[in-house]
This record gives sequence, C-alpha cells and structure tokens, in this order.
Amino acid sequence: MHVWQRPLLALFVGLISAGSLRADDLLPADTAIEAAIDHYITARQKSLGVEPAPLADDANLLRRTLLDLHGRPPTAAEVKAYQQNENTAKRRELVERLMAAPAFAREQAAAFNALLMNGTNSSLRSYLTEAFKENRSWDRIVRELLVGQENDAEQKGAITFVKARLKDHDKLTAEASSLLFGVNVSCAQCHDHPLVTDWKQDHYFGMKSFFSRSFENGDFIGEKAYGLVEFKTTAGESRKAKLMFLTGQVYDEPEIKDPDDKAKKEEKELLEKLKKDKQPPPAPEYSRRAKLVEIALSAEGNSFLSRAIVNHVWNRLLGRGLVMPVDQLHSENPASHPDLLAWLARDLQTHNYDLARLIRGIVLSDAYARSSRWESSTKRPADDLFAVGMVRPLTPWQYGTALKVAISNPDQFPADLAGDALDAKMQGLEGAGRSITEKLENPGPDFQVSIDEALSFSNADRISKDLLRIEGNTLLGKLKTIADDKEAATTAIWNVFGRAPAEEELQALEQYLKTRADRREPALQQVVWALLTSSECRFNY
Amino acid sequence: MSDQHETWSRRGFLGASAAGAAFAADMTGLNVLQNPALAGELKQQGKRVILLWLAGGASQLETFDPKPGRPTGGPYRSIKTSVPGVEISELMPKMASRLSKYTSIIRSLDTKNADHGGGARLMHLGRRDEPTVKYPDLGAVLARELGRVDSQVPDYVSFYTATEGRGSAISQSGFLGARYNAMFLTEGNVPPNLRKLDEISDLDHQQRGELRDLLSKRFAAGRQSASLASHNESYARVRGLMASETLFDISKEPQNIRDKYGPTLFGEQCLVARRLVEAGVPFVKISRAWWDSHGQNFETHLELVTELDNVMSALLDDLSERGLLENTLVVTLSEFGRTPSINSSLGRDHFASAWSSSLSGCGIKAGSVYGASDEDGRTVKDGKIGAAELFATIYRAVGIDHRKDYHVGARPIPLTDPGTKHVAEVLS
Repeated sequence: MHVWQRPLLALFVGLISAGSLRADDLLPADTAIEAAIDHYITARQKSLGVEPAPLADDANLLRRTLLDLHGRPPTAAEVKAYQQNENTAKRRELVERLMAAPAFAREQAAAFNALLMNGTNSSLRSYLTEAFKENRSWDRIVRELLVGQENDAEQKGAITFVKARLKDHDKLTAEASSLLFGVNVSCAQCHDHPLVTDWKQDHYFGMKSFFSRSFENGDFIGEKAYGLVEFKTTAGESRKAKLMFLTGQVYDEPEIKDPDDKAKKEEKELLEKLKKDKQPPPAPEYSRRAKLVEIALSAEGNSFLSRAIVNHVWNRLLGRGLVMPVDQLHSENPASHPDLLAWLARDLQTHNYDLARLIRGIVLSDAYARSSRWESSTKRPADDLFAVGMVRPLTPWQYGTALKVAISNPDQFPADLAGDALDAKMQGLEGAGRSITEKLENPGPDFQVSIDEALSFSNADRISKDLLRIEGNTLLGKLKTIADDKEAATTAIWNVFGRAPAEEELQALEQYLKTRADRREPALQQVVWALLTSSECRFNY
Repeated sequence: MSDQHETWSRRGFLGASAAGAAFAADMTGLNVLQNPALAGELKQQGKRVILLWLAGGASQLETFDPKPGRPTGGPYRSIKTSVPGVEISELMPKMASRLSKYTSIIRSLDTKNADHGGGARLMHLGRRDEPTVKYPDLGAVLARELGRVDSQVPDYVSFYTATEGRGSAISQSGFLGARYNAMFLTEGNVPPNLRKLDEISDLDHQQRGELRDLLSKRFAAGRQSASLASHNESYARVRGLMASETLFDISKEPQNIRDKYGPTLFGEQCLVARRLVEAGVPFVKISRAWWDSHGQNFETHLELVTELDNVMSALLDDLSERGLLENTLVVTLSEFGRTPSINSSLGRDHFASAWSSSLSGCGIKAGSVYGASDEDGRTVKDGKIGAAELFATIYRAVGIDHRKDYHVGARPIPLTDPGTKHVAEVLS
C-alpha cells in the first residue's frame, strides 16, 4: 500500500465502524438469527412508538413461505392440513421440511438467476440448481462466478456470469460490482463517491481493471497477462489505471510489459487456432480476476461481500432491502437497521457464508411473518420499519405455476399426496405454467404491470384455452359437477386463493352464477377467470 | 406554475420517493385525477407527436439537403420551395410547396454513431445508453408527459414493419415502467388482443371484469403498493382500449381521404396515426423501412422519397384542415443519414456527420431552416447539434421543459443531458 493510501483506508475503516457499532456492541454471535432480527426490528419500532401489524394468519403465512421457498402457492388441502395442525412448532417444522425438499434448490436457483443474470441473454439456472442442492457456500459461488474453470463440470456453468457481459467491460464492471459488492461503482465515472472523500475516476477504472484483461475467444473466456486500462481524466490528462478495490486500496501486481508486435501476432494466431479447435485459451500466470476474488474474501473486501448478499436476500424475502437502493451500500446511505445488517453479515461470515442458514433464519422471524394488511386507525408506518408485510409481484415463473395449481382439479391433490410424489406433480405444473407467463417481465424495483398483460389475459385465445378448459383434471371440470352455486363458489375460492371465502365474496359469486343459470358452464369459466386474474393471485402478500 | 406544483406533478406520477413519501401515501394507484390541480394540468396539455421513422437511414442529399451539381450530388436536382432561398430535392415537390406553411428543416445533425443498432438507440433515447440507468425512449417520455394516467386510449402506439424486424424496433419505457410500454402493431394495422373472443358476450366480458375488480378491491383494502395498483389499473383500461380498436379501422374514413394518403402500407398507417392523435393518443410512431441504400441509392430513394412526399403532405394537410396541426408535432428522423460519397454500387453508406431531420406543426416556426452542411455535404458548417439538442427541441415544441428532472430512487435524472440547449431558432 502506498503511504498516501493509509489515511484513506483509516478513514474508510473509521466510517464503517462509526456506521455500525463495534463488534462487542452487537447481540452475541450465538443468538438465533430470527431472534436477532426480531430484536433489532422491534427495538426500532418501539423507539418510534410504532405497533406492528399482527402476524399473518396460517393460510397467508403458508402461502408466503411456500412461494418464497418453493415458488408455488399451497393447494387447498395443504392449507387445511396446516390450519388444522395444532402443533405449536408447526411453522418451524414446515420451514425445515420445505428446505429439505428438491423444490427449494429449484426456487433459489430461479431467484438468484433472476438477480445475477437480469439484462443478459444467458442463464445460470442449471449451475445454481446444482449449487443450491448441495448448499454450496456463497463465497465459493462467487469464486466460481468470477473464475470458474470451464473444464470443470461443477464450475463451468458459473463463468457465464462474466462471459455474458464480456462484450462491454463497463457493463461487466458496473454489474459485478453492484450484484456482488452492493456498490454501483459507475457513478464514480462522473462524480465523487461519498464513501471515500477523493474517490475519482481512478477508482472506477481501478475496478474496471480487474476485468479489463478478460475477453471472449469463441465459446471460451480468456484473460491476457498484460494490458492496462487507459483513461482521460476530467482535466484531459491521460492516465493508466492501477488495480484499485472499492475501499480505495491499490494493489501491486507483477509488472508485465506489453509483448512486442511479433509476440502479439503469435498470440493472435494461437487464439485463432484455439477458437477453431474449441479449446480454452491458456490461463495467465497472474490473473486479475482471481485477485479480485482473493480481495473479496479477505478482511479488506468481505464486509462488502457479506453485506451485499445479506441485503439482496433480505430484499427478496421482505420486499425491501435494509439498504435501499440495493446497489448503494455505503456509509453515506445508512441501512434502516445498521446493527442488524452488521450482525447478519457477521453471522454469515462466521458460518461459512451459508445461504440456507440465512434464509431459514429470516423466514422464521416475526418480521417476515407480518400481515400485509394495515387495519389500525393509526397512520400506516413507513416500509423501512418492517411493521407491515409488503406486497410483492410474483415472478413470471411463480405466476405460471400458481395459475396451473389454481386451475387443477383439487381431487388431484388429496391430503395424503406428499413428499416426492407431490413434488414431482408440482414440477410438472411448473413446466406447464411457463408458456403462459414467459412474456411477462421479471419484477424489479418499481415494477408495473403492462397493459399487454391485461389485454392478453382478457382476450388472447391461447391463454383462454390454457386456463379455462373444462376437463376431468381441471378445477372447472370439478365445478361443473357441483350443482349448488354456493358450494361451487366455495370450492373455486379455496382452489384459487387457498383460503376460506368471505361472505361478501360468496354472495358476489353466487349472484353471478344465478343470473347465468341458462349458461352455467361459461359462467363458471368467467368466475374462475375473475379469480385467476385478480390481484390476490398475482402477488405474494 | 410554481416549483412546488411541478414537484407534485413529477412525484405524483412516479409514486414514492424519499421526500414525497407522505404525498405518495395518498397517491396510491397513480390515481392522479383525484387531485384537481394535476387533472387541470393534464387537460391543458392536448399535445401530440407523430414520429415518421425512416428506418435504415434516409439520405439527406435526396431529401432536405440536396447538393445538385456537386460530385456528391447524384442525378437529382433541387427545386425551389415556398420559402425564398431554400431548395430541397426535386423528389419532394409537394413538401416544397408546403414548407413555408408547416415545416422546419434541421440540416446540421452530427451524431457520430453510424451503426444501425447504436444509431437507432441514440435517436430513440436522445442520449447514449448507460449501464446503470434504463432511459425511457421518446415515445415513453411523451406518453407520460402528454398522456392521461387513466387513459382509455393507448398512449404510445408503434407501427413497425417486417422489413425492419421486431428486433430493430427500439422501444424502451426504461425507468418509467411498463405502464409506458409501446403498443406494437405489425401484421395488419390493429393491435393484438383488442377484440373479445367470440365465445363470450360483450355483457359477460364487461361483468366478468367487474367481478374481477370487486375481488381485487377487497384484496387491496389495507394494502399499499404501487405494483398492486398498476395491476388493477391495467385491467381498468382494458375496456377502453378495446373500444379504441375502431380508431385503427380506416374503412371508416371517406374514400377521398384514403386516396390522399394513398394505398401503400405507410400511407394507411399514417392515416391511422391521424385518427389516433385525433382521439387523444399522445405519441404514434410509424416506421417506413428500408432506406439503407448501400446499393442503388437513387432508385431506392426515388421510390421512398416520392412516397414520403405524398404521405407526409397528405398527413400535414389533413391535420391542418382538422385544426389538429397546431397541437400535433410531426417529426421525420432516421438512425443516421447517408454518405455524400457515392460508392461503386451507386449507393450511399451510413453517415452520421452531417444529416437532416424535419419538424412540422405544433410549436414550430414554419419555413425556418437551421444549420448548414458544407458545399459537398461532408461536414456541418454551421449550427452543429446532436441527439440531445434535437430531443430538447422536440420537448420544447410541445411545451415540455427539457431540463426537468425525473427521479430514480434519490437520483435526479434530467430529461436531456445537463447543459443541453434546444434550438430556439426553429420554434415559434
């Protein structure tokens, strides 16, 4: 480290420390995750005199948990069984059972794929499914995302993270930094970063330098052993960037001269040959990307790494990160609960970056389980107090599955269908559901439903045929056999919403059916349509 | 309008933001029209934009900036227009006689990006892409600025052709959100899914929607979320949008009007565009492909420019006669122009260093010409502007302040890059 860097590093460490209390001021490390979460969340609510919403009821909480862990809503039979279960530990039992099932790995893979590969044309889904099946640690996943070896069966899917963005090094730098470290460093292209007082272009191009030597060679990724990023400062001066991490720390590296023209020509020819032979380029002796991984996992970088992933997971499960926006994790943008973020980050680090453990802890907390309805006469508390559950749009994958579950004949899901048999059936529905919703967008911040969605669900022939078939294995097939309007309405609401109907709803549905007694089958289709397209089916609440 | 009012306008639309949180709490569901101040502002707008997108890169030398007699001029001559001292290509006689009445020409675009993808993105967003911000395109911005929140007509309609391909048809609502996605038309002139299926009666279609609405309202009670609100809003607009299907049906127009626009696809789509803006659609884009004449430039432009001349003049006349032109801006634009040098296939290649755009109607000083290229058309001699300045001018022409900020999270994002000046000389 250069002499002039030390004061900056001290400043950084000081800011981090000031923002979050010293380690011994946090709750003890052996506190259960859910207890720590509820401690900090409740403490802040109390300090502001806020009484949180009650916990969501059984049907609601089951639906939320199942969607988040398995990507599907419960069947009516599952809801009823859960409601009737008198065991006080049933929620914990539920979570353990769900996390041990294969659908857990599938859903987490889908969720992390959406997070990591949004905006690219590639997918990490198969790699991630394998990784989550064995609960691979996050630090190992990050290593594989950045330097995964293409000749290793376990790792080769992972390097797609870098490969998919190699055409644009700026995009690669900005996205890797945002997704893995929670810091959108491209802001520093234009203005000073508030974390380190003299964060300038050096820092942006310093981060970019970790990626600048990487390139595409046919189907493979290569990394040169030489080359420096050059840029023009705002004063017009030409400068060569040094390797610099987000802290401002510069890293020395072996000085390698650019090869002469002859050597460059030979290298080009070799690369062409390798491309033709479909072989990967040789690895450089010194890899800047590998250096980045080393830094990310060192004491220098791991606070970025752990806080970023904690924040991403929290954001997905609670509907809002502890730090918002999720790519602005720095001490000038404090977390809503800085101690909680620090505690969770420390817990993750000391438990080998175990993501399943983190997810389990969050999902077992009271904070996760709040009702999303504010029924008190007092003013609705701000979202960042986590006093009321947040409504979150389903992903296209989840919505497709939810629709398929909703239109299945409930007789196909008797109470005793469980374990692998149930999972296999659900996996079938997941696959079938994809074509209905594949055109929908993956929800991001400030997600809006487009008019195309409403129009196609209202008028498209294909969707109508898919969702409103009257056959033995569909809900409508079942409803057709129920002569009593009230019973039919009850069955329909249980099947689509996964809860008991309210009186007002039953009346509305019965009325609708009664006035169409002469065309009962179409009327049943219309009722089911109204349930399927209502917001309750579209959102995780 | 006070600053405070303007702040409410922006914040109201975009929902929650740090300072506006309390206000946003009342603004669930973008239900802006409950606020009389905002509703009033919206009603006053009434401005529309039609973009004639000449896909592939139209040649400025065969349209608005001819160089007859020069080595780069090609075989066509120039003709006088109704503006003294101004000549355009002889391929545009109808526009020539109308120039002083409707149109301003800009001859000094230098946008530096001469590839289809990059150039198209630049000329749709008015700025370069950034990795961290998804900018909304011209249509999305205008839909949001000029449209009504609960609009029963579409607010951004885009026609693209099979030649251009859906992949090249740029459309990006960006951070404004899916609410401002374009409604795309390609096969035929009617958007998909606007018509109910035969198996359901109109009454049932409507009442099933009302049942859906009742259930969703019950669900939304006590719950607050902008996404949730947008879901119900989309469904609330369905019936109105279905009713607007008739706007796309030109058989409803008298034959003499149809004849003026001509029987080509481009002509018919421009007639649809007039019907749409007449009904209050704020932004319509019609794409005419494929101007990319690397070979046989002069035959290609003979065909395309003649059609453009016929259709554009018919459109402007029609808008004018209906009293719509004073509130409608018509823009011609491409991803870039074409090289002054003529290649060995008698073609012109991509060229972004000195090219033209035209603006007609609302807010425009008809007959004005801004900027100039040199005698061979190789460089801009005078009045050089880029995409930002052109967009700033378009916004100004329809009454939008191009310096205003949107907010993405806490980050202010101006409509055009900071420091951009609009071209006041072409505005009335």
